[in-house]
Amino acid sequence: MAEKTAKYREPTGRALLKGLAFASPFIIGFLVLYAWPILASGYYSFTDFSLFKAPRWVGLANYERMLHDAKFWKSLYNTLFFTFVGVPVDIAISIAGAHILNQKLRGEPIWRALVYLPSIMPAVAAGFLWRWLLNAQYGFVNEILSWFHIPQPNWLLDAGWGGISVIVLMLWTVGGTMLIYLAALKNVPPELYEAAELDGAGPFRRFLHITWPMISPVTLFQVIVLLIAFLQVFTQPFVLSKDPGLGTQTATGPGDSMLSYSIYLFQNGFTFLKMGYASAMAWVLLLVTLAITLLILWSAKKWVFYDNR
Amino acid sequence: MERRALGRVAHGAMAAALGAVVMLGGSLGAYAQDKTEITFSYLWGGAEGAALEQLISDFNASQDKIVVKGVSSPDMTKQLASMSSGKGAFDISDNFASNIASWSNQGVLLPLDEFKLDTSDFPGSVMKQLIVDGHLYSVPIATHNFQLIYNKKLLDEAGVKPPTTMDELAAAIKKLTKVDASGNVTQLGLGLTDVSAGLKTLGYAFGGDWNRDGKPTPTDPGFVKGVQFYYDNVVAPVTPAAYNKFVAGFGPYMSDQDSFAQGKIAMVFDGEWRSKFNTAAKMDWGVVPVPGETPNLLGSTWVDVSTLFIPANTQHKAEAAQFLQYMISPPAMEKFSHVLANLPGRLSLIDSATYNDLPNFKVWLDALKNPNTHGLPPALYMSEYNADLASAFDSVLQGSATPQAALQAVADRTGSYQQ
Repeated sequence: MAEKTAKYREPTGRALLKGLAFASPFIIGFLVLYAWPILASGYYSFTDFSLFKAPRWVGLANYERMLHDAKFWKSLYNTLFFTFVGVPVDIAISIAGAHILNQKLRGEPIWRALVYLPSIMPAVAAGFLWRWLLNAQYGFVNEILSWFHIPQPNWLLDAGWGGISVIVLMLWTVGGTMLIYLAALKNVPPELYEAAELDGAGPFRRFLHITWPMISPVTLFQVIVLLIAFLQVFTQPFVLSKDPGLGTQTATGPGDSMLSYSIYLFQNGFTFLKMGYASAMAWVLLLVTLAITLLILWSAKKWVFYDNR
Repeated sequence: MERRALGRVAHGAMAAALGAVVMLGGSLGAYAQDKTEITFSYLWGGAEGAALEQLISDFNASQDKIVVKGVSSPDMTKQLASMSSGKGAFDISDNFASNIASWSNQGVLLPLDEFKLDTSDFPGSVMKQLIVDGHLYSVPIATHNFQLIYNKKLLDEAGVKPPTTMDELAAAIKKLTKVDASGNVTQLGLGLTDVSAGLKTLGYAFGGDWNRDGKPTPTDPGFVKGVQFYYDNVVAPVTPAAYNKFVAGFGPYMSDQDSFAQGKIAMVFDGEWRSKFNTAAKMDWGVVPVPGETPNLLGSTWVDVSTLFIPANTQHKAEAAQFLQYMISPPAMEKFSHVLANLPGRLSLIDSATYNDLPNFKVWLDALKNPNTHGLPPALYMSEYNADLASAFDSVLQGSATPQAALQAVADRTGSYQQ
């Protein structure tokens, strides 16, 4: 009898309506603000559309144009460079930092707060701050490099360093990832380390055979979240690439090295009024993101360890 | 007893307040019925915005049918977005002439032909930029051009006279450029505070045109020659790396850290608005017409136009047109352009004594009459073309491409522009 009452009961029509009514703010919001624009952009990607005139069907022309658009390829290359360099470095710094924070330190909460502090700073404000820090003439970064006689690059006006400057600014908010890793490290059972130590495993082997597998689900999550953030990067290169003398927005940086995919998409949509082309670019970005994410999820079977298996 | 007295006072106060609200509502209602309110959304802010508000206030004081509400809104994307709806957020606004062709093509601008505005006083180089397919879509509120300004103190110290030919300019750059023992640039003879504007100006000085006859012409020989001149005389002698390192230290334009005001650059192609800034910065400075490759090219430059327009989705086009006419009337235009130290958009104002208190302003004013002052024909592709030119200029200054190769890369992209 008790078993029967615990069973799931189909909702009556009235209960269903009530449930839908309570969920309606989300359902309506999702349909109007997400689903409809997504579907509409899919349609616009096959049209010549400028926001102001009725869209004109052009078939695959927007997608074909991408094949011959050097700036499209440049922006895609830059974005993949940001992603494939930035994400591993972000993960590496986060894990290293989390290990340091996981030590028995005096004032541990203060250290945690300090590493998270840059994450609460607005991206635009951080961008302007880093424009000065990375300034080749007066910046603190080059000043510090000069103490150690390390060559001081022209971070913001040298095509070879523009992309790296964007990654540096992206890494400024590494504290958020670090704290998630810290929580993951605290969940690793200490007896595993004790056993490994008894077996003679050194710090590196303990990390490789205990820590890394135990935090691998968190790593999978972080890789995907960071991947999406890097593939969509807009604010950081947009602010860094402002012309230093005049303040006019070139938004592409030296040698177009800061031209991210999202910036070029924005330019096409809202500056050149090529909304059809911008929509097609948005769909390509979605497909690229999806493909890389699926590839990572597929590979996860080989390197992500779930202890409930 | 005391309580009752207080109660009476409270009731009385409430009644009075209610009466005041009713009266205020009534008067506001009558006000709204009598006057049509229109919104003027402008991109300017600060001192410029204050000058506009003064003009709006003067207009409102002279009116019993229209009241203009001024709104400073410097976001161009928002400006454009509000013109896409059925009922817009404003009835009149401003922008640069370079956007007029594209916006009129999108149908968001109201043709002004029906208002039969007198345009005979507008310079030819200005009018050329405002008419698209035979229709007038905007009118000038101010104009701008570029001339060669120089730091008198630095030129005197180097024994250099303001140049009038390209050979003299090249020689002056050489004398005025300083490099320290470590190879770091400490002073540039000629600099660019606006890369695109400066290099385009040099193109005209060599008889070139980057947008000849309304077509993108990035490989126009004179234009390529102008960009090459800058590279050969400014960038190459100090090396691109040293040039860019020096430029990286430039502070924000027209701030206390302005590169020209700080003496980091001795000469620069810049606009008339510098007159007010340079004077406020207590600089010892002068200005000469842009030197030409040949004598007949002396003073070659180009004019940019700040325009007023009425969006197609306005609900009050007659009232907006009336305010527009007021704004471009000689007294209002003179007042506005003088406060901003901008050039007027009327030939009749060029010799006005009002501008006499703006030092060296005459060189820019006279350029409005110079046949070597070019106007840009309206073009749909201007924003995309400008973005591509900015990338090309950058690769030249980086030393990663020759001017010919960089501008050829732009030419290769012009095929996809909207014509």
